[in-house]
Amino acid sequence: MLGFLFRRLGDIVPTFFGVTLLVFFLIRLIPGDPILMMAGERGVDAVRYAQLKAQYGFDQPVIVQYFHYLLGVFQGDLGKSFVTKKPVLEEFMTLFPATVELGVIAILFAIVVGLPLGVVAAVRRGGIFDYTTMTISLAGYSMPIFWWATMLIMFFSVSLGWTPVSGRLSVLYYIEPTTGFMLIDTLLSDQKGAFVDALQHLILPSIALGTIPMAVIARMTRSSMLEVLREDYIRVARAKGLSPTKVVIVHALRNALIPVVTVIGLQVSVLVAGAILTETIFSWPGIGKWIVEAVSRRDYPTIQGGILLIAIMIMMVNLFVDLTYSVINPRIRHTR
Amino acid sequence: MALLEVKNLTVEFGSENNPFRAVDSVSFSVERGEVLGIVGESGSGKSVSSLALMGLIDYPGRVTADSLTFDGEDLLRMPARKRRNITGKDIAMIFQDPMSSLNPCYTVETQIMEALKVHEGGNKKQRRERTLDLLNQVGIPDPKSRMKAYPHQLSGGMSQRIVIAMAIACNPRLLVADEPTTALDVTIQAQIIDLLLKLQSDSDMALILITHDLALVSEAADRIQVMYAGQLFESGPADGLFAAPRHPYTQALLEALPERSEGHDRLRTIPGVVPGAHDRPTGCLLSPRCRYATDKCVSTQPLVEDYYGRDVRCFYPLDDNGQPTGRTV
Repeated sequence: MLGFLFRRLGDIVPTFFGVTLLVFFLIRLIPGDPILMMAGERGVDAVRYAQLKAQYGFDQPVIVQYFHYLLGVFQGDLGKSFVTKKPVLEEFMTLFPATVELGVIAILFAIVVGLPLGVVAAVRRGGIFDYTTMTISLAGYSMPIFWWATMLIMFFSVSLGWTPVSGRLSVLYYIEPTTGFMLIDTLLSDQKGAFVDALQHLILPSIALGTIPMAVIARMTRSSMLEVLREDYIRVARAKGLSPTKVVIVHALRNALIPVVTVIGLQVSVLVAGAILTETIFSWPGIGKWIVEAVSRRDYPTIQGGILLIAIMIMMVNLFVDLTYSVINPRIRHTR
Repeated sequence: MALLEVKNLTVEFGSENNPFRAVDSVSFSVERGEVLGIVGESGSGKSVSSLALMGLIDYPGRVTADSLTFDGEDLLRMPARKRRNITGKDIAMIFQDPMSSLNPCYTVETQIMEALKVHEGGNKKQRRERTLDLLNQVGIPDPKSRMKAYPHQLSGGMSQRIVIAMAIACNPRLLVADEPTTALDVTIQAQIIDLLLKLQSDSDMALILITHDLALVSEAADRIQVMYAGQLFESGPADGLFAAPRHPYTQALLEALPERSEGHDRLRTIPGVVPGAHDRPTGCLLSPRCRYATDKCVSTQPLVEDYYGRDVRCFYPLDDNGQPTGRTV
């Protein structure tokens, strides 16, 4: 088990270099000069331009710039934002909890709704419930997030007025960030109603962000369950006189979970991509919105650092998913 | 009264208008402590009828019977919950492939204790002791350490012993073994059959042994029932049936045994295959493959009739010399 963990950690090293390389060179391929961008509409004279270029190190060859950057990364220094002049890591850490909070609630929504739907659809295959859920999940899967999010806002926030339109918290409340997670911070604070308010702000963005993963999980669970339900040991379990519910939950679901867990792991990267759109639409102060803004300002250190950190996070999630396989399936535990 | 009474058991699949009868009006009974052998080729409805017995035929399959009683209780007309109290406790079943009969996610211990928990209750300690007893009973070496094993760590023979332990956990009065040795090595086959017969005689349990191994049933079974394409073709006491088969199909099956082919250049076979859903002949289902078939066999279906103490479905049952009777050519 420990050997397996180290081997997997070893796999991460080349991926890590790949990500730094890709991000560093790709953003330099985008047209637009960060210094001119910073100078704004007034422009900058040639002498000052050369001075700034030297200051940021842009006068050196790109390879040299890359190694400078890499050296910094290994020392834990991701550079400072061109725009805010604050360290990238520090900015990331203040915004990251907002994205994690949204992502966790979204994936929870996806699992809590998608998994049971898939199980019931598989058990009642060919029935009306099966057809309905599979059609809905196909629709959910094909829906563009920006459109779906806008529709949700129009209907639930604007027409019905059930939920707030955007943001993390109403202006009525001011919460000093302690953990950065609004749900926890509001609970810790003594302001009445703040927690419910934060929760209300979370509902629509998590549904918008969680719909695609939910659809994927429901479909995956269904097909995986269908396969497992045909297995001999399911018949054996029924021949023992177990109730149908027990057979499905105890014997079938656990075996069906492996591909589902894989898919959930893969959905985390989908979630990050989706977060960029969702956060922009709901004015959610997370890293998605932050990176989009950094790209439009050619804020190289922010883009590089942000994407690198997200990549590391996704690698960690996938490692975690691999480790959960062995918990679910004893065959994997013993062979590795 | 017999332990198990089956009258006109029929299992159908497919649409209502054009159903496929996997089991066609089969009647039989099993006495307490008796070993009944059911033989037939693949596709003869052996497994399906035993699954129907266990209540394991799923929609869209349809099970009907004039009566399906176990110990005087009608299995078909009782509520599902009550029936589940009988399946797994009083009637247990062993399936063909032991390697896939065990759930890969759980230890041997968990899977055996599960059956005990459902039907017998008791505390965990009692169940664990009983499991240890069972593993000893089915001849598992070093049962204490095997209790914690996962199915993928066991050999085929070992798995089948576990499956048997699981089936006999609640002291069933009827054990249905559906080709319990087909998936095993020849050397292990005899051991497993010996084990089953020992368990059967020790506890006076009735045993339905489903197989296509004729040699095996000839030694093990008290009575034998020959099935073909979902129908009962012949049934009777084992020794008589082997000495003098009354149905041409039984005769052909016996002739196909390698040890009975001595003096012939080739092994004798029955030409053709068991008819499936789309190629069912009219008249007697065996008629295309039967060497004695007449025009009557092709046009009309024979019924099961008593012939010298044996149930035979044939217009021309065989005499002691293996020649068809009453046939005019």
